[in-house]
Amino acid sequence: MFMLDLFGWWYGTGWTGVLRATKRRFSGVAQAFSIQALTHTLFAPWKRIITSPGASINDKLRALGDNLISRLVGFTIRFFVLLAAMLSFIGLTIIGVLELIVWPLLPLLAIALIVKGLL
Amino acid sequence: MDSLDLQHVRARHARLGKKIGQGGFYLLCILAAICVLGGAAMVYVHIHYGYSVVGSGLLVLMPALWWRFYLRDVPPTDATFMGRISSHCLTLLKPDMKYSPASLWEAIRSDSQASFITQHLLLQSGSMQGCFSEDPVALASILTDAVRIANGYDSKTIEVGYLAAALLESSPVVADMLKHMKATPNDIVPVRDWLHRLLVVLHAGPQQFGGIGRDWASGFTPHLNQFGHNLSASIERHGGHFSALMDSPGVRDMKTAFSQGAATIALIGPDGIGKTSHAYALAQSVLAEDQDPVLQHKQIIELDAAAIISAARQPGQLEYILVNLFNEAIHAGNIMLFFDDAQLFFHTGPGSFDATQILLPALQGGVIQLIFAMTPHDYEGLRASNMAFAGLLTPVVLRERPEPEILAVLADTATQYEARNNMLIPYEAIKTAYTLSGRYEADMAYPGKAIRLLEQSLPHATQGIVTMESVEAAIEQTRGVKAGAAAPVEADELLHLEERIHERMINQTRAVQVVSDALRRARAGVANPKRPIGSFLFLGPTGVGKTELAKAIAAVYFKDETNMIRLDMSEYQQEVDVSRILSDGQHESKSLIFNIRQHPFSVVLLDEIEKAHPNILNLLLQMLDEGQLTDTSGRTVSFKDAVIIATSNAGADRIRQHIEQGEELEQFESALTDELINSGQFKPELLNRFDEIVLFRPLKPEELAQVVRLMLGEVNKTLANQNISVELSDSAVMRIVTVGNDPRLGARPMRRALQRAVENTIAGKILRHEINPGDHVTLDAPDLSL
Repeated sequence: MFMLDLFGWWYGTGWTGVLRATKRRFSGVAQAFSIQALTHTLFAPWKRIITSPGASINDKLRALGDNLISRLVGFTIRFFVLLAAMLSFIGLTIIGVLELIVWPLLPLLAIALIVKGLL
Repeated sequence: MDSLDLQHVRARHARLGKKIGQGGFYLLCILAAICVLGGAAMVYVHIHYGYSVVGSGLLVLMPALWWRFYLRDVPPTDATFMGRISSHCLTLLKPDMKYSPASLWEAIRSDSQASFITQHLLLQSGSMQGCFSEDPVALASILTDAVRIANGYDSKTIEVGYLAAALLESSPVVADMLKHMKATPNDIVPVRDWLHRLLVVLHAGPQQFGGIGRDWASGFTPHLNQFGHNLSASIERHGGHFSALMDSPGVRDMKTAFSQGAATIALIGPDGIGKTSHAYALAQSVLAEDQDPVLQHKQIIELDAAAIISAARQPGQLEYILVNLFNEAIHAGNIMLFFDDAQLFFHTGPGSFDATQILLPALQGGVIQLIFAMTPHDYEGLRASNMAFAGLLTPVVLRERPEPEILAVLADTATQYEARNNMLIPYEAIKTAYTLSGRYEADMAYPGKAIRLLEQSLPHATQGIVTMESVEAAIEQTRGVKAGAAAPVEADELLHLEERIHERMINQTRAVQVVSDALRRARAGVANPKRPIGSFLFLGPTGVGKTELAKAIAAVYFKDETNMIRLDMSEYQQEVDVSRILSDGQHESKSLIFNIRQHPFSVVLLDEIEKAHPNILNLLLQMLDEGQLTDTSGRTVSFKDAVIIATSNAGADRIRQHIEQGEELEQFESALTDELINSGQFKPELLNRFDEIVLFRPLKPEELAQVVRLMLGEVNKTLANQNISVELSDSAVMRIVTVGNDPRLGARPMRRALQRAVENTIAGKILRHEINPGDHVTLDAPDLSL
């Protein structure tokens, strides 16, 4: 009865649970890295540090330069965070796929290894 | 039909999960790790059995994973009772037992959820064996009730607490027990609601409020951090405790207003209604939920008026700081400013300043979202003084929630007090805090006033339990009223009230009887709590004891003769005098409203009531009917703990005539009342409002003699300072009565006569050294200097 219940769960809700856990991890990473907010503000100035353009051409050019730097800083930081998020997603995907594949094979693998050792 | 099948697969799995437990899980994991690593090492060194060891390790890992993801807390499977009953509950039940309601209670009563319910209802769970049926057949309906309770909460799982509540709700014996404890069977429902809300919070786990990059697109706010308090950051750090308010009409209205383009909201509500809590709830809602773009990622910062004022040391610096703060908030792009007690920013005075000229451009531009919390009175004041400014605010009016919702807020607050102070706050204490704060705290709204009273009750807890008595003690201490049940000494005094009053009053037996009955009714809690303790119209000639009885009530019932608010109604004959009566006390310290607010537990004596202006009499109708009046500021004041006594000489001659004809008071009481109405001296609606119309009879000479003896007691009290005591012979007393008696003025001239007769005589004797300290003097009629 114990083994029957265990295997029943393993190939039933246990397996689908692996899929749900992967989904939860994806959502957690998206939240932790603020993917939506960072994507929407990818090119926004860093912490809204901007210079108001003055009247002269020189001032305008300086403001343009300053603001471009602020946006560049903002973009760089956000880009690397998004990159880290992307890598995390790739890692999670690989882990998730492996889990989904390995999960149903694990009992079979265990039995196969036991048999192989005994033979 | 729901049944308890303990051989059900979920029941078996729950028991297995309990057997394995956390320790078993760790053991399995360690074993699996040892097998896998050891086996791999064996394979590495060409020991062929290593494969089997690795395979065994993987097999051991499987039950560990089974426990971790399933057996630890077997999830619900279907809509039946057995498909939904909590895994934890299943572990409390023995598989081989046939359960009845009684045995089921025994199995679950020690569980924390069942204990939560019994403790908060003050039920002794250990002594409740006889409360439930022993018949297993009776269990089915209880299981169905538990399913119904879970459905009511939209809960997939039937928790132990729901089952315990179903058992308690089904038992007539428990209902009787609760009734004997001044609770009701209906109290079980709010307590299980309370438990459910707690379980929701416990099961919710930590909340996610964004992520590392959420605020990178908004500006720095160093000044706002210095002069403000970030409500959103506070919720992120300490967790959100405002979930219950997030769906309230107030928060919903604010979100709708902002979504529809409003930039500035006036959050209007009386003190205590929870304006600050609503701002916190809005902050939590913005953090926790997907929002309209105008609210997304917004941080609510409350500006600290005191910090701003204290930082402005030079003229103009205040304006500079405020403009800076506004610019910073606008520039940051994700800030919503909250002005708690906004009145501080609207007028110049101690601890406040007028910032309307600085705020006005921001309001007109709509460049930043602002919330101003203010009372209705302050809002009306702003409208009157600065309509242009007030017109830019979108009002969101907070109204008092229904009683069950307020009790729920109180219960949730009690949970925090319990955790912080390691105490138990039963539901009866919460209900009492609600009732008593409603009665005695007219200046604040719910739930604030009830929360304040509950907090004040904590020091009165006995053995770590805040009981109904603790709450009563708190209100008695803070308001000076009698809220608790009469103690034995006081009960004895109440039962012998007539004797106590007669120690200082002669005759007027019926009047004393009527008043004593009313006071006993009030103290025993059988009187209408929405009206004054008692309201009486004393009719009779002057000097027969009307005022004296009022003083006696103040002294005996309210413990001090000074607990009397006395108004001579002949001073209120003009229409304009209405405002003097209703003044909130700022300009008229003698106003009735001001005095009753200071001393709610008093005798209100309205002398010569018939002389008051008709409009004032109309006010009295409301006071007698509803037990409250509204002052000129719009605040209500309660008269529900006062004894209202109106006196009048109207009909005095008729009373005298009836008495002279040998009639008793009871014989002509109603006829006299009719006469007073027919003659237009009193309106029937006023007379009908009094609990009793009490007639005072003129005093007979022998009663006046007793009055003289009472008054002599007072003279002796004065002379006691000189260690001299005086006694009057019967002839002396009768001589004073003869001289002092005036049928029109009753006993009133008696005091003058006594003064002349005794005090003058004694004074002369002292000065002539005929009396020395320690002497006892007996005066006979010829000795009196009359």
